[in-house]
Amino acid sequence: MIASLRAETLKARKRWANWILFGVLMLILLLFGYILTYVILKHPPANFRSPVPAGVLIRAVFPENLVANVLSPMTSIGAAIMIILGGLSTASEYGWLTVQTILIQKPGRIAVLLGKLANLAIITFLVSVTALASAALASYVLVSIDGSSSAWPSTSTLLKGFGALWLELAVWTAFGMFLGIAFRSTAAAIGGGLIYLFVLEALIAQLLRDTPGIKEFLKFLPGVNAGAINASFRLTFRSPNAITQLVDATRGWITLLIYLVFFTITALVIFQDRDVGGS
Amino acid sequence: MAQALAVETHGLTKRYSTGVLAVDHLDLRVRTGEVYGFLGPNGAGKTTTLRLLSGLLHPSSGSAMVAGAVPGSPASLAHLGAMVETPAFYPYLSGRDNLRVVARYANVSPARIEPVLQQVDLTDRARHKFRTYSTGMKQRLGVAAALLKDPDLLILDEPTSGLDPQGTVEMRALIGDLRREGRTVLLSSHLLNEVELTCDRVGVIAKGKLVAEGTVDELRARNGGRTLRIRATPLEQAQRLLASFLGPEQLRVADGTLLLTVDPAQAASINRRLVSDGIDVSELRVDEQSLESVFLQLTETPNQGGDGVKP
Repeated sequence: MIASLRAETLKARKRWANWILFGVLMLILLLFGYILTYVILKHPPANFRSPVPAGVLIRAVFPENLVANVLSPMTSIGAAIMIILGGLSTASEYGWLTVQTILIQKPGRIAVLLGKLANLAIITFLVSVTALASAALASYVLVSIDGSSSAWPSTSTLLKGFGALWLELAVWTAFGMFLGIAFRSTAAAIGGGLIYLFVLEALIAQLLRDTPGIKEFLKFLPGVNAGAINASFRLTFRSPNAITQLVDATRGWITLLIYLVFFTITALVIFQDRDVGGS
Repeated sequence: MAQALAVETHGLTKRYSTGVLAVDHLDLRVRTGEVYGFLGPNGAGKTTTLRLLSGLLHPSSGSAMVAGAVPGSPASLAHLGAMVETPAFYPYLSGRDNLRVVARYANVSPARIEPVLQQVDLTDRARHKFRTYSTGMKQRLGVAAALLKDPDLLILDEPTSGLDPQGTVEMRALIGDLRREGRTVLLSSHLLNEVELTCDRVGVIAKGKLVAEGTVDELRARNGGRTLRIRATPLEQAQRLLASFLGPEQLRVADGTLLLTVDPAQAASINRRLVSDGIDVSELRVDEQSLESVFLQLTETPNQGGDGVKP
């Protein structure tokens, strides 16, 4: 597995697509989550209407709300980017037929995929660290510019928030990786993953969340459970967009962990048993 | 004493989920240290067999041992270098970086990379991206990757495919070097000339079945070998005479000539017998049967040749 991990690290480091995805995630997080939010709320347009004054809303970008503000985009754009990352990591191997080049080398199939999984775990760890660190820096700069005062979250909140961020990113990456192995096609894996995310999770879960029957079904979706975890990191003010969560945070953590294990084991079983090549 | 086997299969069968029977009860034996040519027309099951031996496909039934272990197991792969079908590498990496990736997977020292690049004459282009390589260069990188582990056994699927004449000659020389180094090479091809020039023994596969196995000379002998061609007048009288003392099964007529499947050393006595009976002999020569015609005979009637020439 170590041999496979070393090979995966080299491939991931040299692949521009990975760096572009990372850049897009950071850009969206910092530009939309911090800079534009601060600029707009600092100088709200004349037609700005909100039950919470702009002067209060602006505190979302200050250090006191670091964890909640970083986690906020991770159930949508963050999830999408990690699905693409996971899908690319496995589906490309089938597209380029490099899967057979890999499997003819010494490690067995399980070791090959465990190396890939370990590499993705490291990447999601590094993305989580970088996202939190850069968001912390941005919030520090913005609060300094604003001349306001804001306390940092407690260490336990920061650690718990980091854990939530890493778990959510890992689940979506594992989902993309699983789709890549299941479909053996980059387009199908990424397309399928994004359709799931934006149609089933975002659209249906929003529109039909109070429909009896469907509501029970929605409680099992990873996005709904991730949202419940994110909501447990409360803003220091009552958000006007806050919705009632379908599940509590504890169930959210457990469900996401189950999904992570499920995607990993299912991918391993398929990868181990399925033929490579031929018709 | 039985020679050690690098590859051995027993009733190896692969039926795809689509129902296609690609490999049908294949019994293959590749001896250690030989260059074995796996010959067959397109779609005969060559690549499927090589995929089975590399562990990429799971057999439907039967068994195989490759380098003394089950195909695809780390014990087997440790001794195996393979290039199956298309040389497949990461297009965004250079040739050298692709070999670095392969070396890491195989747990091989990166010090092996430069020697194998040199061996396949790719050092000058090693820093360029794989996506910019010509077909021949991709093929050579595939062979370089197969050599990286310094394997005892090499499986090469159509190794000269896409190579220019110079590259083809170099590839044959490389295979010769590998044989001299004591390695076993199992190569597939549909190019008869290539097999004839490089292989110690040949296995012919058609419709998933091994229809013959042996040296090129053995295959020729089994399928008619050398033929004595006689043009004689009157033809019918010559045919009756020769059938009476050689037997009708040794004789056939084609294009106005008699074709005799006999030892060519009998040519002089046959000529004397015909002339003494008043028959004019205007042509008498030995026809060497080409490997091509042997191949065509074997692959056109696969079910009748299943008993093949066995060592």
